[in-house]
Order: sequence, then C-alpha cells, then structure tokens
Amino acid sequence: MPPKQVQLTVQNISKSFAGKGGDVNVLDDLSFTINERDFVSIIGPSGCGKTTIFNIIAGLLEPDGGTITYRGKEIESLRGRVGYMMQKDLLFPWRTVMGNVLLGLETRGVDQKEAEEKAREYLKQFGLAGFENAYPKTLSGGMRQRVALIRTLIMDPDILLLDEPFSALDYQTRLYLEGVLKDAVQTYNKTVILVTHDIDEAVALSKRVVVLSGRPARVKVVHEIDIEATSPITARNDVKFSTYFKTLCAELDIQTETTS
Amino acid sequence: MSLVMSGTSARKKTAPRNSRKKRSTFDTTLGRAVLQLLAVAVFFALWEAGVHAGYISAFLMGSPSGIFATFYKLILSGELLSDSWYTLFEAILGFIIGTIFGSLFGLALWYSVFVAKLVEPFIVAINSVPKIALAPIVVLWFGTGLISKVALAVSLTALVALIAAYQAAKDADVDLQSLMISMGADKHQVFWKAVVPSTLPSIIATFRINIGFGLVGAVVGEFISSQRGLGHMIFLASSLYDLNSVWVGLFTLMILGFVLYYVIDIIERTSLPWKQATTSHQVQV
Ligand SMILES: Nc1ncnc2c1ncn2[C@@H]1O[C@H](COP(=O)(O)OP(=O)(O)OP(=O)(O)O)[C@@H](O)[C@H]1O
Ligand SMILES: [Mg+2]
Repeated sequence: MPPKQVQLTVQNISKSFAGKGGDVNVLDDLSFTINERDFVSIIGPSGCGKTTIFNIIAGLLEPDGGTITYRGKEIESLRGRVGYMMQKDLLFPWRTVMGNVLLGLETRGVDQKEAEEKAREYLKQFGLAGFENAYPKTLSGGMRQRVALIRTLIMDPDILLLDEPFSALDYQTRLYLEGVLKDAVQTYNKTVILVTHDIDEAVALSKRVVVLSGRPARVKVVHEIDIEATSPITARNDVKFSTYFKTLCAELDIQTETTS
Repeated sequence: MSLVMSGTSARKKTAPRNSRKKRSTFDTTLGRAVLQLLAVAVFFALWEAGVHAGYISAFLMGSPSGIFATFYKLILSGELLSDSWYTLFEAILGFIIGTIFGSLFGLALWYSVFVAKLVEPFIVAINSVPKIALAPIVVLWFGTGLISKVALAVSLTALVALIAAYQAAKDADVDLQSLMISMGADKHQVFWKAVVPSTLPSIIATFRINIGFGLVGAVVGEFISSQRGLGHMIFLASSLYDLNSVWVGLFTLMILGFVLYYVIDIIERTSLPWKQATTSHQVQV
C-alpha cells in the first residue's frame, strides 16, 4: 500500500454562536486530518456541531479561529470545490431531475450539451434513466437522494461532505444507497467525509471513524476500521464488525447490554 | 377554482374504487354549470317579478328586462364594446406596468439588506395611504386621458407586487442558497437560480389580486374625469338616473373581471408546471 497522503487538515477550529443566554461554544479547538481517498465517518451526539464543521469547510460559515490546510496550502474554505450533500436532499422543486443534476455545472458555466450528456450517463448509471423530466415531488425518497448524490458527484468535487444523507430513508433503501455510494466513490476516486448517527453505517462504509464528544465538540477518539469488504452488506457480516460496533457504542456511552 | 376542477378529473378516473364516497349527479362540471346558471336565472326572474308586482322600484333599481334592452342597444351602437376595450386596456396596462416594476423592485431589495431596511418604513408608509385618495391629484398631474387611469392602476398594483415579491425573496429557502454557494455560485447566480424561481408562486398569486386593482384604478380614474370607458358610462348614467345603463356597465365589469381571473388562472398553471403535480389535488375530507 502506498503511504497515506494528507489531503485536508482542520486545525484548532473554534466557533461559537450568539445564543439567548450568551455565546454557545459549539466548536472549540477541533482538529483532524483527512487523507487522500479517505472515507471518514464522523459520529457524535446530536447538536455537537457536526453540521457546523461541514458549513465551515464548505465556506458557508466563518470559523472564529483555526486554520484549514488543503494539500499543503492554507485556505479559507473549500467553497466551490466540495460536493456538499446536506441533511435534507434540497432538490429544487421547480427543476426537473435533469435540471437539478445540471445545477452545479450551470453555475460553473459548462457547455449545456456537454453537461447534459454527462448527466444522462450518471442518471443511467444510478438507475434513473427515463426520469429526466420528472419533478422531485413525484419521486420517492430514495430516488431523490440518488438525484442529490448525482448532483454532488457530477461536479467532480475534491471532497464529498455528506451530512446524514440517508437518515430519512427506510433500512432497505439505505442499504441499497450505501452500496451505490461506495461504488460511486470507488469509481470516481473520491474522498468522503460522512456525518452519520448510524454507527452501523459508519462501520460498514468507512476506513476511519472519528468520534466527537458533546458540545464543545472535540475529537474523542479515531478508530481505524479494518474491514476488507466489497459492499456495505458484506461488511456487516465481517467477524470484526460487531467488535467495532460495540466499541463505538461504548465510546458514545450507549449501553449495549442491559444491566438488571 | 383550478383545485376543484382538476380534483374532479382525478376523481373521475378512480371513480369505481372510490365509490364509497357518494357523489350527487350534479357534482360534475356540467351539473354545476347548470345549477349556477339556474341560480342566475332565478335571481333575475325574482327581480323582474318584484318590479312587475311593484315591490321593487324600477326607477331606483332598474329591471332585468330594461337592462337587457339597454345591453342590446349599447352593443348594437358599438358603445359598450369600445368603452369596454378602453377600460380593459387601461386596467391591463396599469396591471402589467405596476406588477413588473413592483416585483422587480421588491426582488432587487433582496440584494441589499441595508437598502431594504432603509426603505422599509417608507414602503409601509406609502402603502398605508389609501391609493384611491390619490385619484384627484393623479388626474391633475396626468390629465384626463389614458395616462392618468394607467397611473392610478399602477399606484394600486405596484406596492402589492413589491411587498409580495420582497417578502417571498426574504422567505426563499436559505438552504437552497447555501447549497449553491457551496458549489461556488456567486450572488447573481444564487439570485437568478434559487431566489427568483422560489418567489414566482407568490408573485403570480398577486396577479389575481392585482388584476382586480387594475380595474379599480381604471374605473375610479374614469369616474373623476374622462370621456370614455365603462367608469365614465356608469358615472354618466347614474347622474341621469338611468339605472339600467348603470347595471349594464357593472355587469360588463363583472364579466371582464371574471374573464381576467381565468386568464390569470391559465397563466398560473402554465408557468408553474412543477406545482401542478402536487397541489391540484384537494384533500377529500
Ligand atoms: N446559525 C446558528 N445560530 C445559532 N446557533 C446555531 C447555529 N447553527 C447551529 N447552532 C447551534 O450549534 C449547535 C451545533 O449545531 P449543528 O447543526 O452543527 O449540530 P449537529 O452535530 O449537526 O447536530 P445533528 O446531529 O442534530 O444534526 C447546536 O446546538 C445549534 O443549536
Ligand atoms: Mg447536523
């Protein structure tokens, strides 16, 4: 295996919001690194600041302090270079599936014909051929997420920021889309940071899992997940799976055994 | 209205399965039309009968037979048509100018929170003036011709459009805008691709109100001073106690408003196809 190269470093990031009872310290001195072609899951209690981290990396929020380094260069943010999939699918209701997929390429000023051709390829690959002219409201939740995923991937971003992309879906659809995501990441050589509440999902998909403590968020521990599986489903059958699962539950103070 | 109509066509398709819900034979488009026309006919018949029996004064109220005779006469002479066209033209022109400028200005306020906050009290102040009260000066400024009526219609419609557009732009989904920013979009792209499309339903919803205001502006302008138009005709006829002509003018205005309403309805449906898929079905309780 080639030595791991660091792609993104987040260092000593802090952020507080003005709340009713004074400032709320959401991030305080948070640091972590992401390697090239990494698949990192971030888990942590609700409201600890996971979305806030993404918003800072994506350039939607300015941190109060700290630095972001990308491939050796210090940068403000990765605005325009990340594929950010937010907690909601956020499809534009007035745009068709095709229109939604093309959104990013349009803002980038890519030639319409070229963009459409590319979009058709993606739609076909994700099993959405024939839905080009459908409006989002007429699609199922799983289809909508796939459209959102294509919209993210088609921009060819350096890093994918996925904020609980599958949390609103039923288990079967989620399993299916996890597979779709894993394949896509492999095909297009993407780096992924995934925020999830689902420990099961984190273990099945990632190479590393970052566990955050409650507010203010700090990195509690980073687990390397050493499961060589081709799909998220087979990963769940791996002998090491339940060990990782239990460890992470313990890390998050979730009781796995009932004490009588 | 569109809700009810498309609701029926949807129900028709699933009628066999939906049969547990009883529908009377009149609850179809044709059935309702028959009932509606019947109601109008009964109304006029009672009116006419009241006049004949002496309960209703034909001098103060007019009579349906007189109204129809006047209507026929005015159509033949061409007066009614030319007056209608004139008023319609003023109303539509005022509506279009007022809506376009109002909406554009309202949308543009999205660009600068500073400017928006600065002008907000002025907009509220201007809006709180009953615009009809401006009619006399508008006539002083713009004369007794077409322009003063259009100006009055503009003054009535522009602020409605402005406030609706500004509010809708403020309410535009922040997450959609954030998403675009994360993609590297600039402010203009966010404006045109995220803000403007999401304000369209609200802006088009103001068309319904504003087309009525357009007619109000035109007619009130004609009341004050003019040589033509339905407002002029009504004003003149009422000063001569010619009630039948007054009614002809009023009913013609009603028909104009009615037709315009459905034109707006068609505009709404064709310009917002993405809304049709979901909102055309009224929940059946
Ligand atoms: N714009 C804001 N203004 C004020 N407070 C905010 C703002 N955005 C987030 N917060 C607060 O910061 C904290 C962290 O929010 P964040 O959305 O990052 O949490 P999260 O870890 O993503 O939670 P969840 O897992 O529930 O999505 C929350 O307590 C939230 O109330
Ligand atoms: Mg979140």
